[in-house]
Amino acid sequence: MSQTKSIRVQRYLPEQEPEPFWQNYEVPFDESTSILDALNYIKDELDNTLSYRWSCRMAICGSCGVMVNGIPKLGCKTFLREYGTRVDISALAHFPVERDLVVDMDIFMEHLEAVKPYIIDKSKGRPTGESDTYRQTPAQMARYHQFSNCINCGLCYAACPQFGLNNQFLGPAAITLAQRYNLDNRDKGKRERMAALSEHDGVWSCTFVGFCSTVCPKHVDPAAAVNQGKIEAAKYTLINLLNG
Amino acid sequence: MMKHHIAKDEPLWWALFSAGGICFAMLVPAAILVFGLLMPMGIIPASAFDYESLRGLGLGWPGLIFAGGVIALPAFHALHRIRHSCADLMLGKESVNKVWAYGLASLMSLMAVGVVLVNLF
Amino acid sequence: MQKPASYRPSMSRRWWLQHQHFVLYMLREATVVPLVFFAGCMIAGLWALNSGAEAWVSWQAFMANPLVILINLLTLAASLFHAATFFPLMPRVMPIRIGAKTLPVNAIVGGMWAVVAIIAIALVAYFIWRA
Ligand code: SF4
Ligand code: FES
Repeated sequence: MSQTKSIRVQRYLPEQEPEPFWQNYEVPFDESTSILDALNYIKDELDNTLSYRWSCRMAICGSCGVMVNGIPKLGCKTFLREYGTRVDISALAHFPVERDLVVDMDIFMEHLEAVKPYIIDKSKGRPTGESDTYRQTPAQMARYHQFSNCINCGLCYAACPQFGLNNQFLGPAAITLAQRYNLDNRDKGKRERMAALSEHDGVWSCTFVGFCSTVCPKHVDPAAAVNQGKIEAAKYTLINLLNG
Repeated sequence: MMKHHIAKDEPLWWALFSAGGICFAMLVPAAILVFGLLMPMGIIPASAFDYESLRGLGLGWPGLIFAGGVIALPAFHALHRIRHSCADLMLGKESVNKVWAYGLASLMSLMAVGVVLVNLF
Repeated sequence: MQKPASYRPSMSRRWWLQHQHFVLYMLREATVVPLVFFAGCMIAGLWALNSGAEAWVSWQAFMANPLVILINLLTLAASLFHAATFFPLMPRVMPIRIGAKTLPVNAIVGGMWAVVAIIAIALVAYFIWRA
């Protein structure tokens, strides 16, 4: 590790300074040094006041999202070797910042909750007991499988200008999750989800900017799911109007 | 239990926007090519656009398809995008923008489809 | 629980200049500006047909104005750019599935471009035949 890179981290320490400020760190790196490794190095060796989130180090827990040069990235899946001389790390955009790189994700959780992201099945035929399970063919699974890869990292929210302009917008991941369960043949809860999706702040706030799908580390394609949701919301609204 | 306010009008605007988007991509290029470029540049001879024979075409059934597919639906497509761009650029109030945007699209549609219908019937 | 103090950066009106993806997005949205102009031209054309031969000739003269031709050249570019951004979205939003397989995106996009070309060729051919 002979090479070093200078990294700028946006700090926010409300008890010291009312405004966020940039701080420089010199970090050694090689081919395998991730942004998260760099932050860990800073914390362990240079400045233990730095706050940030992480857990799995393998792009599955979804907690290490940060902006790198203004683009939402998973710290553990992004490598210093990909960058030139400028490496600016700041907190995920469009969320309130609590401290350094730690954001308040409550609004994201609320939006996820609003779409009931779990299998709803109150039918008589639902599996009961231990030996009884749902049956699903590969073709039935293929319908929603891509959308089920979401790790709730929130990168798509940081990428979405519509969420930035109006944080009441349900947003890419929540609508994708709704679509994921709506497309699941085991689920019978579509009607319960469609009311939230059919609001102005549901699918209709999306203008297909599409950056959510570009930044998604799991290739979920939330933009596609949201626009599939528009077709469903249109049907749901029409049926509602016809039923009075 | 949260009360949901379903946006009753959005499916209509979105359907018109989508249909207009298909027309903008598939029909409008052909129309621009002929009436915006090849006719005015004289590449297709003027005799192809002689008034007497074109009147029956333009104000007949083919004209109705033209008015719908090249003017009315693309107008809704365009004004829907303009409405959202205003929100993107934080211009005006959403409730007001909707009125003038879809109002203008309706007016353009009425002017295009109306003049053909008056001649058809 | 009391929430800790937090700060939320506000978005500037120029947010879309901050990344190339957003600039292209705004460019896509802007394709409708020349479209409105072209639709206006076409409305005028229909009204000219309705008014009589004289009005038709002066509408043709208006369309032949170099500035109008230039704008319509821009409109053609705008419509093709719109198509290029729009076609790849279709198979993502409305995937065509045969069993567990999805029809390849390239096939659908290619098919849609073929439709654009066929309509354009047919319309041009029709008017050449009329001449
Ligand atoms: S859709 Fe992708 S970017 Fe959005 S939360 Fe899920 S994994 Fe993250
Ligand atoms: S640390 Fe778990 S996703 Fe990066």
